[in-house]
Amino acid sequence: MDNLGSQVIAVQETDKGVSRRDFIKVCSAAAAAVGMPAWAGEKMAETVGKKKPSVVWLHFQECTGCTESLLRTSHPDAGTLILDLVSVDYHETLFAAAGKQIEEALEDAKKAGGYVLVVEGAIPRKEDGIYCIVGGKKATDSLVECAERAAAVICIGSCASWGGVPSAKPNPTDAVGAPEILKAKGIKKPIVTLPGCPANPYNLLGTVLQFATFGTLPKLDDLGRPTFAYGRVIHEDCPRRPHFDNGRFAQAYGDEGHRNGWCLYKLGCKGPQTHANCSLLSFCEVPGAWPIGIGHPCIGCTEQGIVFNVPINQNLPIDKPTAPMAYPAVNPEHGVVAASPVAVGLGSAIVGALAGAGFVASKKLSAADSEKGQKE
Amino acid sequence: MSISRRDLLKGAVVAGAATAVIGEAEAREEVPDRPDAVGMLFDATLCVGCRACQTACKKANDLPTDTVDANGGVYDAPADLNGTTKNVIKAVVDDGKNVYMKQQCMHCVDPSCVSVCMMGALHKEGEGKRDCRTDQGGEVKGTGIVLYDKGLCVGCRYCQIGCAFNVPKFEWTKALPRIVKCELCRHRADPKKTGPLAVANPACCEVCPRGAVIYGKRADLLAQAKQRIAADSKRYNPHIYGETEGGGTQVMYLAPPALTFKQLGLPELPEESSAHFSETMSHRPYLHGLTPIALYAAMAFVINRNKKAEEAGHGEEGK
Amino acid sequence: MSAHDHPQAIGGKVLDPLMTTLLAIFAVAAAVMVYRFFAGIGPVSNMTDGFTWGIWEPVNVVVFTGIGAGAYGVGLLCYLLNKGKYHGLVRPAVLVGAISYTLGASSIVVALGRYWNAYWLPWVPYWNLGSALLEVAVCVLSYVLVLWVEVLPSVFDGAAASASPSWAAWGKKWGARLAAAMPFIIALAILLPTMHQSSLGGLMLIAGPKIHPLWHTGLLPTLFLISCLSMGYGAVVVLVNILNLTWNAKQDDKLFADMSKVNAGLLFLYVALRLVNIVLNGKLRFFQADFPTFLFLFEMALFLAPAFMFLTVKGSGQRGKLFGAALLAIAAGAFYRVDTYLTMYRPVGWTAEGKPFSAGWDYFPSLGETIVTVGMAAVGIAVFIFISRKFPVVVVGDRAHSNLSGGQTAAGR
Repeated sequence: MDNLGSQVIAVQETDKGVSRRDFIKVCSAAAAAVGMPAWAGEKMAETVGKKKPSVVWLHFQECTGCTESLLRTSHPDAGTLILDLVSVDYHETLFAAAGKQIEEALEDAKKAGGYVLVVEGAIPRKEDGIYCIVGGKKATDSLVECAERAAAVICIGSCASWGGVPSAKPNPTDAVGAPEILKAKGIKKPIVTLPGCPANPYNLLGTVLQFATFGTLPKLDDLGRPTFAYGRVIHEDCPRRPHFDNGRFAQAYGDEGHRNGWCLYKLGCKGPQTHANCSLLSFCEVPGAWPIGIGHPCIGCTEQGIVFNVPINQNLPIDKPTAPMAYPAVNPEHGVVAASPVAVGLGSAIVGALAGAGFVASKKLSAADSEKGQKE
Repeated sequence: MSISRRDLLKGAVVAGAATAVIGEAEAREEVPDRPDAVGMLFDATLCVGCRACQTACKKANDLPTDTVDANGGVYDAPADLNGTTKNVIKAVVDDGKNVYMKQQCMHCVDPSCVSVCMMGALHKEGEGKRDCRTDQGGEVKGTGIVLYDKGLCVGCRYCQIGCAFNVPKFEWTKALPRIVKCELCRHRADPKKTGPLAVANPACCEVCPRGAVIYGKRADLLAQAKQRIAADSKRYNPHIYGETEGGGTQVMYLAPPALTFKQLGLPELPEESSAHFSETMSHRPYLHGLTPIALYAAMAFVINRNKKAEEAGHGEEGK
Repeated sequence: MSAHDHPQAIGGKVLDPLMTTLLAIFAVAAAVMVYRFFAGIGPVSNMTDGFTWGIWEPVNVVVFTGIGAGAYGVGLLCYLLNKGKYHGLVRPAVLVGAISYTLGASSIVVALGRYWNAYWLPWVPYWNLGSALLEVAVCVLSYVLVLWVEVLPSVFDGAAASASPSWAAWGKKWGARLAAAMPFIIALAILLPTMHQSSLGGLMLIAGPKIHPLWHTGLLPTLFLISCLSMGYGAVVVLVNILNLTWNAKQDDKLFADMSKVNAGLLFLYVALRLVNIVLNGKLRFFQADFPTFLFLFEMALFLAPAFMFLTVKGSGQRGKLFGAALLAIAAGAFYRVDTYLTMYRPVGWTAEGKPFSAGWDYFPSLGETIVTVGMAAVGIAVFIFISRKFPVVVVGDRAHSNLSGGQTAAGR
């Protein structure tokens, strides 16, 4: 099987009749869609044109939702992505091949090395990891081998990031995310986690295309999540935030508040503690095609401590109150009563006048007395 | 000296005797907690400061929004209870995080405001001078809710002086001002319901998304508070504010362990209510009205006798 | 120079420059009051929810009525303790009392937010007997009536002395009837102030946590009662001395000296009670280097200075000293009252160390409030001048009529 990655774009161009101009357009669109600057499109075309980055995609304990989610993108669409922008060298869902042939493709890719390893799904550790065997190979082994030869590891979806659904109590297979396996094996590669259930595919695209264009990964937080996507909680960017700020809560599903699109915090929305960008970057470019958008409270699908752990109808404290949440102090200033100079002056003048008059009168009386005394 | 030693001694003996009698006069009775008393429980460890209760209170009581001015640093919400705000959320910063405090009428068991109100405009439900809730199914005795009858209020504002929590507020800029304070949404009660909702239905409790403030009978709330502390002692300050403070309040508070209630803005009060102290002190000399009458009789007698003696003296001396 | 000189109407032009000035001041105050009734209390004053009584309650009500307690004090000495020599002081004292109590009552109407509901006050079934303010309100309003009834002998005497025979007959008839009823009215006039002057102190009992510990005590009613008598006696001395300076009113310095000895006793008693109470309640620790302590010491000085001066004043020839001491006695009572009600009141109270909790509330009397207070005082003085000119109140020379046996002369005691 030809390794598509070895083909130079120019040849491909001529073969398929895609003009350089169209190709740059495609790259620009892709760059724009993932928030890279305008000039990145050209850089991408240049880099990718020289050599398309190789991507190896492993599936473990997963529902394939993250792949499905990727398939529904349009900027760039999956076709453009895997045909023009990256070289997908192993993907169990997307490849027509199966069996011995696909495993050979994987071995070839591993031999070449330097690919971006995308992991989808959790990895079980129970009983030495026998609960997930693909192509006769245990998931743990497969992951480790591929990771050793990879340039970077991207864990897509909550399952790969921290264990996801398979890791929900009682976690019978001792499922964990890829980072944990790799850490235990002492494999030091740049690891990006993109939690979500499913993850927003554009977070993946952004990361992969940045790597493709510049060879760098976006800024990550301490859990390996790109801050461009996971730096803020849903609560901070939620379109229903004005309702929260004004105390308009849906009290029950279907009630007046719910029908009016009011805040879902009382129904158990985990938005205040869930780091994700679902409200900013629509899934499948359909605005409102996300839980809160359709009237269901966020279940916190990116957060390990929340989803599949805290009941859906139970809400959580708000860790960092953000504007416009300003609160008065326990004894707030009530606007200092500006004792107007005139009032102070008048008050003092009166007190002074009384004291003065009293003094004068007293003196007068004494004088009158001494006069009388002299007379007598 | 113009007063003879004899007179002085006489006076002293009388005064001394009087004091002895007065000292034995009974103190004013303790006010018991009513068995059907209703109230609220605010759990500061649950509140997230969303202020839905503030908005709901305004809506339920037809209160206008506050004029925007930079009071206390807050520009879009009231900074304190005032003539248009019956409920307010304040924040205390503890170790970098906010702890929230809900402030409204405490519906004390033995309220100072009720004690000082001249005509009983502020009164415990059903125990006032007249029913001021005739349009809302009438007052129900025993709930202990402190209600305001504007028809009897003269606007003396003594209640503002008396209330240790500074709850009653006054409409300073109105020509026909009222005293404004939380009345536990007595008007939202549904007599058709059973239980505490038949007598009141505070909007703040209804809307709170976290159940940080809940409504119910005081006895039940107290039990619930004790239960919460027992179940998770590390989460709570072991004291329940309002259980005994100032004679007890029907709105009680739970706080996180790192904060004192004083820091939350709740005053440190002795177990004896101010009303009890004040009324006992004031009433002691009166002996249930006996003293004024006796004094009057005695003085009228003496003055009359003095007058007669003087007239007799004048008569002898001639014109 | 007997103490039983005859009071007579001063006469003279009513609208002299002084009167005009006083009335002008009152006119300004009246304008402010009218505005208050339309715009609410807030716009004319600096009163807020934190300092809700401003100066109108402590000064216009509590201090003015303290000054008016001269009627109470003199009545006590003259009629109850049967010291008839003080008869001559009764009428001016009663008039000052009537006026100052009326000023207090009128000020209350301005200070009340929902004044129109005051008509409920006489309705006994609605009385909340637990309220000290109710006691004050009912007592003060009754006492105002009693005081003006006590002023009536001057009116009847004035009528009796008039040229018109019908007025004279009317005056004589009603004067005699009133005289017969007087003992019962006077007994009331002593009972009522005993009750409400002490209740004025009792008002602040309930504000316990909010009053500085050196001021808040169960003895408040007693202390207010004692100091009101001091203020009253002082006010009478000051008043008659001023009348002497302006209208050459007769004054008996020996009488004043004797009365002032009583006052001295009261002042010492006040200081003793206050200090002993502080010691017994373990409040000595509140004496620190701070403003409340300074104020306390200032008050003590204000009480002790006149006390000593009264003790050492001679029976004659020391009018200046007596006058000054009497002024100080008034000032002492006034400061004590304003301190208890206002200066040492903090909405969020005081710490266990006697420092005020920062409450975000601030207060200083506004121009409007000051004008109303001054205007009330001005109109009070104006009314006094008017009545003294028209009716026999002030003694300027002749023999006096005792109030008890109205119309008949009485020999000195």
